[in-house]
Amino acid sequence: MVMSLGLAPIAVGDLKGYTQWVDQPTLPDTTLDLGSRGEPSLELLEEVDPDLIIATYGYGLVAGDFERFAPTYGLPLYAEKTAPYLQARRETQRLGERLGREREAETLLFRTERTIDQSRMQLADHKATPLCLFTFFDDRHLRIYGTGSLLQDVMDRLDLRNAWNGETSEWGISTVGVEQLATVGDARLVCLEPIMPHAVRMIRRSSLWQNLPAVRAHPIATIPTLWPFGGLDVAARFASLLADKLVSV
Amino acid sequence: MRTDPRTSPDLGSALFAILALPAFAALCLLLTAFRLAELLPLNLWWGAVIAPDVTDVGQLLFHHSALPRVAISIVAGAALGLAGTIFQQTLRNPLAEPATVGTAAGANLALGTAATLAPFLLETGRELVAIGGGALATAAVILIAWRRHLSPVSLVLAGLVVSLVCGSASALLVVLDREYMTELFIWQTGSLIQNGTAVVTDLSVKLLIGFALATSLIRPMRILELDDESTRSLGSSPAVLRLAGLIVAVWLSAAVVAAVGVIGFVGLAAPHIAGMLGARTFARRMVVASAGGALLLWFTDQLVQVLPLPEEVPTGTATALIGAPLLLALLPRMRAIMSTQGGSDVASPRHVIRWWMPFAALAATAATIALGLFFARGVDGWHWASGAEIATFLPLRLPRALVALSAGAILAISGTLIQRMTGNPMASPEVLGISSGAAIGVTLLFLIGIELDRTNMVLAATAGALLTLGAIVMMAERTFFSPDHILLAGISLSAMGTGLAALVLASGDPRIDFLLAWLSGSTYRATPGDALTAGCVLLVILAGSPLMTRWLEILPLGQATSIALGIPLKTVRLYILIAAGLSAAVATVFVGPLSFVGLIAPRAADYLGYHRPLPQLFVSAFLGGVTMAVADWLGRTIIFPWQVPVGLLIALIGGPFFLWQVASRR
Repeated sequence: MVMSLGLAPIAVGDLKGYTQWVDQPTLPDTTLDLGSRGEPSLELLEEVDPDLIIATYGYGLVAGDFERFAPTYGLPLYAEKTAPYLQARRETQRLGERLGREREAETLLFRTERTIDQSRMQLADHKATPLCLFTFFDDRHLRIYGTGSLLQDVMDRLDLRNAWNGETSEWGISTVGVEQLATVGDARLVCLEPIMPHAVRMIRRSSLWQNLPAVRAHPIATIPTLWPFGGLDVAARFASLLADKLVSV
Repeated sequence: MRTDPRTSPDLGSALFAILALPAFAALCLLLTAFRLAELLPLNLWWGAVIAPDVTDVGQLLFHHSALPRVAISIVAGAALGLAGTIFQQTLRNPLAEPATVGTAAGANLALGTAATLAPFLLETGRELVAIGGGALATAAVILIAWRRHLSPVSLVLAGLVVSLVCGSASALLVVLDREYMTELFIWQTGSLIQNGTAVVTDLSVKLLIGFALATSLIRPMRILELDDESTRSLGSSPAVLRLAGLIVAVWLSAAVVAAVGVIGFVGLAAPHIAGMLGARTFARRMVVASAGGALLLWFTDQLVQVLPLPEEVPTGTATALIGAPLLLALLPRMRAIMSTQGGSDVASPRHVIRWWMPFAALAATAATIALGLFFARGVDGWHWASGAEIATFLPLRLPRALVALSAGAILAISGTLIQRMTGNPMASPEVLGISSGAAIGVTLLFLIGIELDRTNMVLAATAGALLTLGAIVMMAERTFFSPDHILLAGISLSAMGTGLAALVLASGDPRIDFLLAWLSGSTYRATPGDALTAGCVLLVILAGSPLMTRWLEILPLGQATSIALGIPLKTVRLYILIAAGLSAAVATVFVGPLSFVGLIAPRAADYLGYHRPLPQLFVSAFLGGVTMAVADWLGRTIIFPWQVPVGLLIALIGGPFFLWQVASRR
């Protein structure tokens, strides 16, 4: 999110994980790895002497623990059960103010809206088929995205229907068995990468998977890696990737 | 090992035995039919089984999801029951099963290693990988327990330690590479969800082959019921027979792990159920235990699907959660299971305590702390902290070093107390389940959804540890503090803790990073306040322990001697247990449940020749503290800026050391 406001962080937690799961926006090569997200190295934090420490506090990290290194700034992207997209907009503006990048923040807000609008127009002919969004954990278990997730909010703005309306956690996700995909009927399956190669192999020889109404009805659309718990940049990227995928097939 | 001969073969119990299994099967069938009828009307069932119309969702799910799931629960349960029976027969050990002899953990670690290092192996050779890992771990466990004539508890302890080491190694993989984490955790919870009919067909074939192999072993196995001498005189080699049996059992267990993941307790319970139902011969036990295991897992799997929970509990977790309390409840009724061994190793030379030794120990401790404080890695690599840097880094490093040191020493003392009290050199707070109790407390907190801040965690961990301690004390009173029972209670508690933790970790909740860190024993969040608390507890227990010297001297000599010497056995054991338990609870809050220090440090002190209570206590405290402090320093620096939690590191180093100790003892 800092990156999308035109600033590069000097260090991030779990640099490798960022490239694996978040991928874009790409961090500059000079960005340092702080270690794991749960336990960023305090000594390194001391050495790099940051101007500001931005983190999502409350999940094991307590802002007070970091105040001795630099001012801290909490970035709650999923909070108080608000719609994540609106929350991301609010947080972008707030972060923009804090970083003195109000203009960039407004631009980001505007750009995201525009991207989503464009994608919506692009998808005008594809609204009939509901979608089902998920990530493979292994060949039998999925993380499915529903009400309360950022991706759901984006889909709402694209006038697309989510075929999955089961219960979700406060992050808008739910871990389900693969057989649950039978309940979405012939919805279009959209799978978020990464997919483990051995899971792919197991799925190919699965008699359930091959016969699922949704699998028989449409080819599966795969969306390259993006961080489903992210901010506006992710929202925009998801919208345009989804539009491209659905239109191209 | 023969089954309990107390079940008298009168008419009533014979009838019960004949009717019990069919009745249970009818119950399972009813439950299943009830659930399947919701999916598909009864009149369509036959068609859906024979030739399903896959365009109909009901029929598709019936044929390719619901039925395979029922089938896999039956097949996997039967395979586990069979494997458990063979394990128990070949090892002459009523506690042997895939989980207790390390097969499951080994297979799991192998799969995890393959997933992170060589995922292509999983595409084709998933089962070979699982079998390789399972066989290696089982071989290690058996080799270690061999010297102790495969005595039930030494085997189960070796199994527990090997499983913990494998678990730590898996956790380390997760620390280093998060990509496959959720997959690994799902694996550990043993989910029976099926994606088509392929897996269950595969496992069924294997079960049949396993059954055929086991049948061919029936005659030789009966010979194994005799002792080794008689076996030899009949012209069979007991070693070869046992090896053949073990190969079949390991293969079956690994096949189950490869197909659905880790499912505990079924393999343990099924043969005992068979015994209770009056199956005496190996052949009958084999059949009844397979049927019993199948029904047990079938029932559990139906149960988790019926229970009105927000999210379905994976079946493997359910068997662990149901099975552990069951074993606990059954324990007091089991008679003494093993002979208690003497506590000290008389073979090694006795050390004379000299006046300079305490000072040398203090100096070594100081040196360790200095190393931890001043020598570290930064952006530019390794360096000693200079004057100005010390001021910046000291507040970061000192609390961690002190917490590690104190917690290590406390655990070591706690371990010494427990080992001397039980007269069992393989007991410790970790093995007793006190650490697991603390972990269960914190995990429950997380499951309920209460925020995991420092205070809440400390409270939950302490409550969990104390409750466990209370349960152990209560059970121990009923069994007259028999060390065997206490140990087994601990082992089942830690199985429960592992199951619960796996459940949370598999949920894929973005907050699990933190829980994971605590479970793997991290000092990351140590504050000066923590250091102070831990230090004070250490001082109190160090000062208090000399009061117990006499007791600690006499207790390892055995019950008879202790009573003869006028020791109020029950009261004394209670005091020691409370002292050891409370201190272990405090240490667990700071360094997590995974450390092996309480197990190893007293052994190491004994190994060095400090056999008398006080010297052993102090030397063990010194060794425990210093080891922990060094491990903490290593953990902070070796993969800087990443950190290896000290608990994991200790488990990876200490586990093998402990096993070597056990193996090399006479």
